[in-house]
Amino acid sequence: MNAHRDIMTGLDATADERGSQKIDHDIVSALLVFGLSIALILCSRFISPALGSWDQVLTVLTLASFLVVLSFGQGLVILIGGLDLSIPALITLGGVLTTNWIGTGDFGVWYLLPVILVVCALVGAVSGVGVVWLKIPPFIMTMATSIVIASAALGYTNGTPRGGSPSALLWLMKERFLGVPVVIYFTIALVLLAWAIQSYTAMGRRLYALGTNREAARIAGVTVNRLELAPYAISAACAGFVGMMLVGYSNGATLRMGDSYMLPSIAAVVIGGSSILGGSGTFIGTVGGAILLTSLGTVISAIGLSAGWRTIIEGAIIVAALLVLRGELVVRLGNRLIAWKR
Amino acid sequence: MKLFRTLATAASLTLAATIGMGTLVQNAQAQDKKFKIYLSLSYSGNAWQSEAANIVKALAQTPPYDKTVELKEVISGTDPQAQISAYESMIQAGADGIISFPISSTALNRTIHRGCQKGVLFFMYDATVTEPCAYNVSYITAGFGENTAQALVNILGGKGKIFLSRGVPGNSVDKRHTDGAMHIFNQYPGIKVVAEYYSFWDDRTTQQETAKALAAHPDVDGIWAQAGEYGAIQALLAKGNKLVPMTGENSDGFRLALADPKMQAMGLKGVSAGSPPATAGYAFKLMMETLTKKRELKPMNIEYPLPWVPADQVKLCKGDTFADGCNVFPASKVPSSFVTEVFNPQFLPELSLQSALEGKPTPGATIQPLPAEIKQAPDAPGINCSNCKAPAGEYKLTKIEATVKP
Amino acid sequence: MSTASDTLTARPLRRRQSPLLRAIVSGTGIVALIYIILYALYAFWQPSALSVFTFTDLVNNSTPLALAAAGETFVVISRGFDLSVAGVVSLTNVVMAVYPLQGAGGALASLLICCVIGGVVGAVNGILVARLGLQTIAATLGTMIVCQGLALVILDAPGGMVADFVTYKLTDTLFGVVPVAGLFLLLVVILWLAFRRTDTGIGLYAIGADEQSARFSGVAASRVRIFAFIAAGMLYGVAGFMLSAQTATGNPTAGTPFLMLTFAAVALGGTSLSGGRGSLIGSILGAGTLMLLQKVLFSGGVSSFYTGIFQGFVLVLAIVFGNAVGWLLKKEERQ
Repeated sequence: MNAHRDIMTGLDATADERGSQKIDHDIVSALLVFGLSIALILCSRFISPALGSWDQVLTVLTLASFLVVLSFGQGLVILIGGLDLSIPALITLGGVLTTNWIGTGDFGVWYLLPVILVVCALVGAVSGVGVVWLKIPPFIMTMATSIVIASAALGYTNGTPRGGSPSALLWLMKERFLGVPVVIYFTIALVLLAWAIQSYTAMGRRLYALGTNREAARIAGVTVNRLELAPYAISAACAGFVGMMLVGYSNGATLRMGDSYMLPSIAAVVIGGSSILGGSGTFIGTVGGAILLTSLGTVISAIGLSAGWRTIIEGAIIVAALLVLRGELVVRLGNRLIAWKR
Repeated sequence: MKLFRTLATAASLTLAATIGMGTLVQNAQAQDKKFKIYLSLSYSGNAWQSEAANIVKALAQTPPYDKTVELKEVISGTDPQAQISAYESMIQAGADGIISFPISSTALNRTIHRGCQKGVLFFMYDATVTEPCAYNVSYITAGFGENTAQALVNILGGKGKIFLSRGVPGNSVDKRHTDGAMHIFNQYPGIKVVAEYYSFWDDRTTQQETAKALAAHPDVDGIWAQAGEYGAIQALLAKGNKLVPMTGENSDGFRLALADPKMQAMGLKGVSAGSPPATAGYAFKLMMETLTKKRELKPMNIEYPLPWVPADQVKLCKGDTFADGCNVFPASKVPSSFVTEVFNPQFLPELSLQSALEGKPTPGATIQPLPAEIKQAPDAPGINCSNCKAPAGEYKLTKIEATVKP
Repeated sequence: MSTASDTLTARPLRRRQSPLLRAIVSGTGIVALIYIILYALYAFWQPSALSVFTFTDLVNNSTPLALAAAGETFVVISRGFDLSVAGVVSLTNVVMAVYPLQGAGGALASLLICCVIGGVVGAVNGILVARLGLQTIAATLGTMIVCQGLALVILDAPGGMVADFVTYKLTDTLFGVVPVAGLFLLLVVILWLAFRRTDTGIGLYAIGADEQSARFSGVAASRVRIFAFIAAGMLYGVAGFMLSAQTATGNPTAGTPFLMLTFAAVALGGTSLSGGRGSLIGSILGAGTLMLLQKVLFSGGVSSFYTGIFQGFVLVLAIVFGNAVGWLLKKEERQ
């Protein structure tokens, strides 16, 4: 009996070890991405002595906040093996509805903002319904949603969205607290919440299962159809929220404000270690990816070369960063970390 | 066999359904002798494009054009193939005239040439094509880059660190503006361009890129900007309460800021120039006058005057038009991203604010004839002509004199 | 007396799936059906659509996207995403316009140069993915950005001039009936059909469906992957070549619209974006459908921002229709 108990504790120990091994890998991966961002910012001193400063870090973090919120939603969709191309249109929708329905008047801002988020989530749910029940490939479904919403917004506003930003959003995006912009505190809180949801709740775990093997998840009792709807709705709500953030940032909305975030939202998720085919990756890694991309963009725009050379350098650095962040390297470092802990 | 039947039934049902739906969509058009005019846009969804399109739509509904013009708007997006395809469809549908914002100065040439051979008139506004049989109506040769650069140099007294906020990389308009500006800046060794970034003619992007540049160079003395300049002001305000002399285009936010005593006290000085959406209206009226034989115009490049509003000349409009030399609208009427230069009392007296915002005609207005003279635009290779050379003195200053010697 | 043998013979033999049926049930057949229906609509509203001239225009317009989608199919079937299509198209277009080579010989040389450029980029992608273990979307994102930058370095604003032979002859028709661009597509299709029967071709599908099993079955997964990327890259190069023929000039950002459209064409053509299934012919037809859609909407009188709304709905309807037909046919066949 004692022997049995020894074996059981032995097995448990291995399970725990394996579990903690996984956490270590995730942490190593995330640390590597953050480390690369810091290295990039420090190296930018060679380009200009004014760079590499605390001010630049704050600027990078403020600008990265949009991408961070966005790539949470995109990350969830990619986790289940899909892709959300409707993000630019939903950013626009969130922004246009905010300036049109609320504007600078602030009337009803506390209930209208959630209503707008719900509207965006509903649009996302429509995409989800198309993917899950009509069996339309996510690429086409979200692209169709994007085109329809963008055209509807164009028709609705006649091209010029009126209205400015409600003061609540202005406060979020422009105020500072103890010298650090409020939006950074807000983003950190969101990151912790989102990371907890994705990695430590039951729903999060079921999403991982869904992304790894849909059939197996279904057999295991996960209500795959309804669950698959959730990431699309969440992604759409995140995008709508980023639209609101952008309205606060620049005190107004335009119809193309989301366009430049399409590729970076996917890139941040992928650079952060998630597989484009689903089933792996953590949000902390994605956050690192978002910050890395934003730092890279900041450093690149400070280089005094022509647009062509700047673009080449940016691409080369991305490839180099990816090579450094490769799975094998992370595994080796992670193993060394575990060995060192013992 | 059964399979075949199922397939055939499915196909014919769908065909019937779509034809039914299709005939619902297509209205039976009255067979009057109306001019068939197509408004071909590429970009859409930014204030400039929408205002320009609305101006054309408003003019097309103003008497007498409301009875003689049938206008259809086609948006193609940023894919040149799509605009090529759109032009081909329009030519095939028997267009009399196509008024367009071309996505590329060169890719559409072959299709335009074929259309010209069929007798279609092509009028391009603001953006230009190098095809000789097309009419280009644009301010681009009027020297936005060099004039605003000289204005900035004058304000800075010939020395200082400046930012260059450009447009879209790989675009001829951005290149022409920047080349003109650099031609001036290079004459003054005291002027240093410490940061040059691409803002894609968008307020938000300008704000973000300027913020990044400010992080690296907080001691900037001036900013030369293309469209989106209000974003630069927002970035400066967010950083601290200091502004610097700036030149930019003509967003409502920028012009109001130039005239705002609070901003002036923080250090804002400058000039508002830039691309006027009114060009579209001017091009449309020229096209209609040519089509109705009121004017005899051979394909040529026509220059639209460069708007020029220094800070001390900004005047708030009380009504809905540019009356009494006013040139900016209050913030309660239009958003900060509204492009202000939608009026021209000389060329386009039929327009009011509603025309630009909604594409509706002004009640009671009728189309007025244009002034007889037209200013021909100088050759600009790669922009409005292909086998040509730029004239000497391409970057000649027209709006301003240098007050500082290089 | 019923015996086992009686019951056996009493049950009818299963019909062998005819190749025609297989073709129709597959995505290729369905997208072909959609294309025919759309063309019928187009001809209904615009009778001149049935002329050689209009058809040639349509083929010329669709060929660059069709070639790009054909190339992308190679990578998608092997379970990957190749974003470098945008970069290669921009780069080859710019090279064609800045270094034009005159005459028929020059055109052939230019074509080879485009293939080489595309092939080199494809090889780099293949090595990054197969030998260095990067994800396809991440690696090709990097190469796309680098190619984009190279294009801007070579030509910083639209300009240049593509050789006359390329722009006039390659957008013309042969014997007044057959569009030359269509011949390019036909050649690619024939090569594809031959390729599918080779070991590499079968291996491509195998590693897309299940890479582990494929490896165990003896498929040289790395080599097949690298080959797929090189083939894709070369096709992107030819796409840039044909784009230059159509636009006659260079534009450093020519490839940007191709990114989204290429994947849409591939998905529309019935190729699964998670690999293992699909056909190059379907992708070509998918590209044709996308370009045809604009014409159909125009001739149907849809204008202004409604075009976008209709485009979105028609895309969704086309896929739903395709799924429905496929499901109906599968049910048919099982009975």
